[in-house]
Amino acid sequence: MPGIDDWVNLPLDIVQSLFDAKNKEWSNNVDGFFKNRLSDFTAWQRIPSLNHTPLHTLKPNSLVRFRCMVQDMFDPEFYLGVYEVQNKSSNSTFLKTGKYQDVAECSRDQLINLESRQNVTWDRQTLYCVPIPAENEWIKQGYAETSQQMTCPPLDPSSSSTSRVKRALDIDESSPSASQDSSVTPHQNGGEVAMENGGDAEKRSRTTDGDEGTAGGGANTTVDLNFPIPGEKGTACLVKVYDQIDVFRVAEMVEFVGVLSVDPSLAHFADSEQESGLGDAVESMECIEEQNAHSPPPSLVPRLHVIASRKLSHNNPHIPDDINSIMGKSLVENTLKEAGVIRDQLRWLLSQVLLCDALTADYLILHLLSSVYARREVCALGKLSLNLTGIPQDPEFVATLYALIEQLVSKSHLLPLTLSNMNKLKLTPKKDYTANRLKSGLLQLTDRTHLVLDETALQPGQLDANGVMNLAALGNIISWQKVDYDFNYHKTEFHTNVGVLVLSDAKSILPTDCRVHLQPKRDQVNMTEVKASVQEALKSGTINLDKIRTFLEVLPLLEYTMSEDVQKFVEEDFVEARKGDPNKMTPEDFQHLLVITRLLSLSLGQPSLTRQIWERAKRMEAERKNRLQSATLPASSAATAAQ
Amino acid sequence: MSAKDYIAEKEKCKGFLTDFYVDGGRKGKKDFKYAQQLVSIAHREQVAVTIDLDDVSEHDPELAEAIIENTRRYIQLFADAVHDLLPDYRQKEVIHKDALDVYIEHRLLMEQRVRGPNAEQPRDARNQFPAELMRRYELYFKIPSQQKSLSVRDIKASRIGKLVQVRGIVTRSTEVKPMMTVATYTCDQCGAETYQPINSPMFMPLLTCPSQECTTNKSGGRLYLQTRGSKFVKFQEVKIQEQSDQVPVGNIPRSMTIYARGETTRLCKPGDHVSVTGVFLPMLRTGFRQMSQGLLSETFMDAHSIVKMNKADDEEMSMEELSEEEVQQIAEEDFYEKLASSIAPEIYGMDDVKKALLLLLVGGVDRSPKGMKIRGNINICLMGDPGVAKSQLLGYIDRLAPRSQYTTGRGSSGVGLTAAVMKDPVTGEMILEGGALVLADEGVCCIDEFDKMNETDRTAIHEVMEQQTISIAKAGIMTSLNARVSILAAANPAYGRYNPKKSLEHNIQLPAALLSRFDVLWLIQDKADRENDLRLAQHITYVHQHCKQPPTQVNPLHMNLMRRYIALCKTKQPVIPEALTDYITGAYVEMRKEARGSKDSTFTSARTLLSILRLATALARLRLIEVVDKEDVNEAMRLMEMSKESLIGQTDTAARPQRAEDVIYRIVCDVISEQSGRSIKYTEARQACLAKGYTNDQYEEAIEAYEELNVWQVNTAKTKITLV
Repeated sequence: MPGIDDWVNLPLDIVQSLFDAKNKEWSNNVDGFFKNRLSDFTAWQRIPSLNHTPLHTLKPNSLVRFRCMVQDMFDPEFYLGVYEVQNKSSNSTFLKTGKYQDVAECSRDQLINLESRQNVTWDRQTLYCVPIPAENEWIKQGYAETSQQMTCPPLDPSSSSTSRVKRALDIDESSPSASQDSSVTPHQNGGEVAMENGGDAEKRSRTTDGDEGTAGGGANTTVDLNFPIPGEKGTACLVKVYDQIDVFRVAEMVEFVGVLSVDPSLAHFADSEQESGLGDAVESMECIEEQNAHSPPPSLVPRLHVIASRKLSHNNPHIPDDINSIMGKSLVENTLKEAGVIRDQLRWLLSQVLLCDALTADYLILHLLSSVYARREVCALGKLSLNLTGIPQDPEFVATLYALIEQLVSKSHLLPLTLSNMNKLKLTPKKDYTANRLKSGLLQLTDRTHLVLDETALQPGQLDANGVMNLAALGNIISWQKVDYDFNYHKTEFHTNVGVLVLSDAKSILPTDCRVHLQPKRDQVNMTEVKASVQEALKSGTINLDKIRTFLEVLPLLEYTMSEDVQKFVEEDFVEARKGDPNKMTPEDFQHLLVITRLLSLSLGQPSLTRQIWERAKRMEAERKNRLQSATLPASSAATAAQ
Repeated sequence: MSAKDYIAEKEKCKGFLTDFYVDGGRKGKKDFKYAQQLVSIAHREQVAVTIDLDDVSEHDPELAEAIIENTRRYIQLFADAVHDLLPDYRQKEVIHKDALDVYIEHRLLMEQRVRGPNAEQPRDARNQFPAELMRRYELYFKIPSQQKSLSVRDIKASRIGKLVQVRGIVTRSTEVKPMMTVATYTCDQCGAETYQPINSPMFMPLLTCPSQECTTNKSGGRLYLQTRGSKFVKFQEVKIQEQSDQVPVGNIPRSMTIYARGETTRLCKPGDHVSVTGVFLPMLRTGFRQMSQGLLSETFMDAHSIVKMNKADDEEMSMEELSEEEVQQIAEEDFYEKLASSIAPEIYGMDDVKKALLLLLVGGVDRSPKGMKIRGNINICLMGDPGVAKSQLLGYIDRLAPRSQYTTGRGSSGVGLTAAVMKDPVTGEMILEGGALVLADEGVCCIDEFDKMNETDRTAIHEVMEQQTISIAKAGIMTSLNARVSILAAANPAYGRYNPKKSLEHNIQLPAALLSRFDVLWLIQDKADRENDLRLAQHITYVHQHCKQPPTQVNPLHMNLMRRYIALCKTKQPVIPEALTDYITGAYVEMRKEARGSKDSTFTSARTLLSILRLATALARLRLIEVVDKEDVNEAMRLMEMSKESLIGQTDTAARPQRAEDVIYRIVCDVISEQSGRSIKYTEARQACLAKGYTNDQYEEAIEAYEELNVWQVNTAKTKITLV
């Protein structure tokens, strides 16, 4: 049986050998084999990751993993699943599989028989994947660190020169028939394609050089990588999915493990095609734009043939993937035990930045914990979009607040709602029919991303059509947790789970669930001092940042219950409140209160509601409403006085 | 796999073409469907032959199977068969239609002249020419009707080479271009003609003459391409994309390339919903592309038929007959309640509103006695305080109704609602684009925020609501479009909350003319009621915890089942029996009397009577009977009564019915304030009150009563009323 390095480095050999076993179930066997190997999580982590390893240091046709968001889905590809190879000298034929690879391969004295009756065509799905948008820096570092510990030295990204040597050795050692020598250019010869296997070394070096030239500077390329958030860095990847085609959804977080393919012949050379004048519309079904979008150079957008995958419920590297596993359970227990302490620390941190306003800090905690847990018809249950009003004029305030949020949550993005942003940005994804792909928009975000909208940056002025649509899109995501992707002929609703925090001076133009007026307890504020004191606290270790992060990541995933007693009590309370004046407690208020209590209960480490928490939530709400009233009253009285 | 005997198969094809007939053609004769077509093809009167696989499977089921599995080959076989059969069907001299006809004939004649005396080769001269050149017809298959059309997503690799039917929306279509199918060359040395059939998008031109003369003489004759003698077909590339309802949640719609040739070109343009039948084929690549693509092959669909669909067709396809079991499920004793409660099950209560909405979906019977058209569609207006789930009800009806449009009053101008004259972006022609009301023809148009609509836009609706048409006179286009819609409107009270002390028009700022066109007006109020509140609270907490409906006694029927049942109901045309008319008129007179006598914030007019009839017929339809029952009329009247009650007797404080005096007082006050003075002419005030349906006596009583209260003073001559 091959050892660990073999199945990581030469996965295609294993696939072929399982195929050769002439078992009808061979495809399942392949799945089983790799699943077995990867069942151990450390083994999974040993696989080099495309996210933080430079592409040129990775070995082609070896297993790599990629943590990403599905951005677009292309049309299915039809490929030769089984093809016949003829040995020129002996005239004997045998079958090979084209699964998990892009280019047909055989040695110099072999021919591929394209006309064979035994050839079978299969289909696979291509997904266009981009690194998870809005992923915060500490997460990326965390992943890099964990996998640095795990990966074996030869594949260490920091020593690319050694890995090159290692690979050269690999080639020498391998037998001539070894199939990893794949970067061969097929030559056409009648109905058959002959493959030559000459000049490995030169070709190899050429390939790698080429890779180095382009992969490093991803920014100065002409290919649009279609990241949702403009200006983000990382590698996009064309992920080819076999078998379970329909399980992935757009804007989902997935980690794929698959065979890396960077064969340069995959690139489509648009320029040369144009010059030669052969690429007319009849000959190729795709136009130039489409080809550019669908076959970018593999040095920029590598191909990944998926062998295994797992959907990510979160992207914190320090938390086990499945919180129901043994490791996860103990972590959850610990977090729940310490919830009170952690919550106090978090509250202190937030209130520092919020100028000692404890109530606002409380609400911000609830907001950070909020997550859509269910959908009923059009309503998304569990969301709590927050509008902080009365934000001080000091521009440092927003920056400081966001800097802290960025430190706390795994994915966040700050969007200043300036006029130019609103008018120019593309918020909703739109299908581009010329290039036949989905142009990404800023709202194409994975679940539990925190979007912070800075409305203080908004100045009076003219919104154009795009701006109005953008505003509507923001309103949609806040009210219904959905983004309408524009398919030109129709719009399709995609569900999201994005927390939205709006910072504004007065009531926001966007419809939020909950509005809290900031009441600074300190008059004279110097944001730099605040920042310094927060950093001080974080550094000194009085506040355990890791625990807070875990707290924010894990709690929303927990099960929350309401005992029958409490349920009855709550219902009675609603009826009672409506007795006096139905306006004081509308069904919407009640729903809102249920969300607040749920989050409050979780934040206190109690996954089951108690009366005390219900009362506490009601007190919080009362205080919030009082504040709003007193905040608007002076303003309106001032206005009348001015008149 | 044993190779099939294709010669035998070809004979089968021939047999089918000549022998197939449909019984019961004209005068009970056998109708030779295809043989007749062959005759017209032979005479160049028809180009395309569509072979219905239903017919084939009737004739020979195995052949039909084989065709679906290996369509490309059978097209060839059928074409050959037709080719062989054609001379037998030629009955008269053929008139030449185009240059190619003439060209072919010339070649045939020449060939005969050359070989004429040569009796050793009696075979048909045409055999020398490629079959593709001589054929002036196109063959298409029609997929069996029981085969459902697929979505693009379902087309997998296993379908390659098979006949499939796909639905989708056209996203791109190229111009129609000529594509060469047979290249004809002439030799510069010997003058002989050479033909080259072309099947791929690219071809390598022949260079040296292969004729006997040139090869034996080794003269090295060069070949030149002859455009006139070559055969071209129309060619168009179309791209279709999955329809939005076929895409699983969270997925991106897939697309597919369609090649349309000959008669299938120019049948669709971007934005059309189409159903395409064709053969799913891999693309043959040659040259450099084949190498660079490696293992991949691109695919396309060779179209056999492209049919444009409208939305209604689309739904009919998915409509199946209700099975015995399903009818059983519906036809229980309390089916009326059950159906009603299945409407928007997530909204708690409001049983009568839901019943009314159910009747709106079913609709009454249209009637046109002596050319006068009386609509059967039921219009409903829901009013109510903000946040009483009006919009949810509308949204649900929008989803449930097979044909519906949802719009908001604020968002759509009159043009958007009715119809607009627009310039087609592709062709530049002026076209009539139907607005929401036209698009919802024979369906439901849900209009939210009805009260927020502009005055001018609202007038457009008047015509629709009674006449069920829309007249357009714009940009030189004058026409009347059908808009047989039921309107379901939702409106908010003018001052935020419904004020029971004020009349309907005051509360909803809509003109009476428009309000009277609604059959049912319903006021939904958010009232504090202990029992109701408790159940509401239970409902909400349950949903929040389990994120599904609390279990109720009745299981809501599935939307699809409801849809089909409603469609079934719509086929019935119940009539009102003679015996019932007296009953109805009696009841109507009673209602009129009642309405006049007391609290009047709604109207009872002839329209009310019509509304009752509509509701009653809808109820009869719902029960799938042909004759309206007395029960139906009673239920219809009950619903009307309930809707009125919802408008009048609301909160406890407002339970007291308004006296005529109070109403008259308010009318007078309104008139005074309108004139922004403190006094008003006596007669003018009377006029205003009479206009509202009060008698002179009532008016004078009211004036006196309020004078006694010292609210106003009337001068002695009784000409002026002055507010104190």
